[in-house]
Amino acid sequence: MAHQVTSKDIPSNGEHLEKSKIAKIQFLSGIIGGVGLLASIIYLLVGSGSAHGSYAFSWLFAVFFILTLALGGCFWTFLHNLSNSGWGTSVRRMMENLGFVFPFLFIFCIPFLFPGVQQYLWEWMTSYDAAVKAHPEMSAKDALFHSSNTHDHLLAAKVFYLNPGFWLARFFTYFIGLGFFIWLVRKFSIAQDTDNNPGTDNLFAARKHSSWSMIVFGVTLTFLALDLVMALDFSWFSTMFGVYIFAGSALNSMAVLILTGIFLQRAGYLKNVVTQEHYHIMGKLCFAFTVFWAYVSFSQFFLIWYANITEETRYFLLRNTENWNLVSLSLVFMHFALPFLALLRSDVKKNQKFMIGLCCYILFMHVVDVYHMIIPERGPSVGLVVDHVPQLWLGGSWVGDILALVIAVSGFLFFYLRNLTSAALYPHRDPRILESANLHN
Amino acid sequence: MSTKVRRVYGYLAEFKNASQLYKAAEKVRDAGFKKWDCYSPYPIHGLDDAMGIKRSILPYFVFIGGVTGFLTAITLAYTTQVGLYPTIVQGKPANIFTTAAFFPVMFELTILFSGFTVLFGLLALMGLPRWNHPIFASKQFSRVTDDKFFIAIEARDAKFSAEATKSLLDEIGGDNIELVEDDSE
Repeated sequence: MAHQVTSKDIPSNGEHLEKSKIAKIQFLSGIIGGVGLLASIIYLLVGSGSAHGSYAFSWLFAVFFILTLALGGCFWTFLHNLSNSGWGTSVRRMMENLGFVFPFLFIFCIPFLFPGVQQYLWEWMTSYDAAVKAHPEMSAKDALFHSSNTHDHLLAAKVFYLNPGFWLARFFTYFIGLGFFIWLVRKFSIAQDTDNNPGTDNLFAARKHSSWSMIVFGVTLTFLALDLVMALDFSWFSTMFGVYIFAGSALNSMAVLILTGIFLQRAGYLKNVVTQEHYHIMGKLCFAFTVFWAYVSFSQFFLIWYANITEETRYFLLRNTENWNLVSLSLVFMHFALPFLALLRSDVKKNQKFMIGLCCYILFMHVVDVYHMIIPERGPSVGLVVDHVPQLWLGGSWVGDILALVIAVSGFLFFYLRNLTSAALYPHRDPRILESANLHN
Repeated sequence: MSTKVRRVYGYLAEFKNASQLYKAAEKVRDAGFKKWDCYSPYPIHGLDDAMGIKRSILPYFVFIGGVTGFLTAITLAYTTQVGLYPTIVQGKPANIFTTAAFFPVMFELTILFSGFTVLFGLLALMGLPRWNHPIFASKQFSRVTDDKFFIAIEARDAKFSAEATKSLLDEIGGDNIELVEDDSE
């Protein structure tokens, strides 16, 4: 047994990440993220054509990837408070910091507000506008019913939800709503750090407010996924899509948390409060969500495959055509089977070197997963036709995908590091910090 | 006068509380005993480390059990649905790509076989079920389900000796040290 951690081992002012230690990397990620964002906005604003449409998809893919990581951070924060957990008090601040990246990511979503971007990503908006313009005297629903394009009839049935005004209102509500709640819960936690009479008030307040917040989180994640990704093909629907995105978010934000913990410890922080027991638990959660992701994503596929209803099968037909089939198959074996077998043993979860490799791998597979959700729609939407054959793959578009991913991940890193330096690295005055430091499972 | 020779099970020592038991267990472990056990009314965190118990080999059995279940399901689905009697529904293929339809079967059989291996493997490794245990010969031992903590060192242990083991238990704070004799002849 390791030495028992007592209050003497916890610095009274807490541990703070030295800004000079990460200044270089934060500066670099800020520059890449900031300049890249500006350049992307300008590029997406000025022109149109298949290259611009293609980049709009790249941008959605990259931004949705970082959104899921931040959303997962919100989930773990609320869950930790709500379940009255003691084990993770020493890693809770990392969860809060990861979740609090979410409101900042709004600036990466600004391009989605441009009509020039929307026309490529969400065709229902184009159809809606065209129908309303053609029949200004009718309601939008009737106008869509009178449209010559028969597909618009499907949209007419969904117009109560898929209309531009409501879409815009939802879009802002997501960031304001969940952004406020994660800010509030994190604020209670930080207030505890400087409280001269640290009691349980802040802890209980955080627990109380996590209850609303969990509902807000669930609604936000589900409908954000619906509005940004499922609406890429408005004729398609899946009732499991929200939980599918949630499974990926929870898994990958936990991978980010493990990586953060390991790197902070290597830099000389969290030495007294985070032990291999914490990595063991976080590894177990990663394992659980690897299985959960597989369970949900397979169920979604299975129900659609079995029922074989025309509107529902579109999604998988597209993703099993030509080489996209390889990506679909790779998800089965490399997103599920491989991490499942790798995480099965308990000692590997305590092996930090192994977990660094595995977490990076899991995150990479999440990139593939998000790619597989979004990019197959690009060929049909942007509509490149060669010799009367619509193309599923636009040559050279991968450059934009990688570029957008680098920009988005840099921006994500910048805000994450900003959050890490803005408060103590762990809640050192939390009543349960010693319980967490002496964790044994 | 009874002339029956009874087999010695080992020494039983009582401890007042969980922390005494924990500290005593560390000392018995360090003295190099292998065949001994701690008894307590409730689970004590970290006691397995204090006793120096190695990881169980049960997980390996369970893994093999799970793989067996998985392969059984594949064989079952493939031979019946592809080999013997293909059922063609909605024009779906009757070949290896029908796999998706049988994932639930594969999942269930993997879980079922793993579950069985856990239960029966656990019972086998613990030597259960059994009719009796020699330690029940001790009268004071019945309080282990109430408020007492015990360590028993078995006579089968290579390090066991009639005097040295008794004085060791005495040294580490054991009370009411008792030589338990097996009465289940």
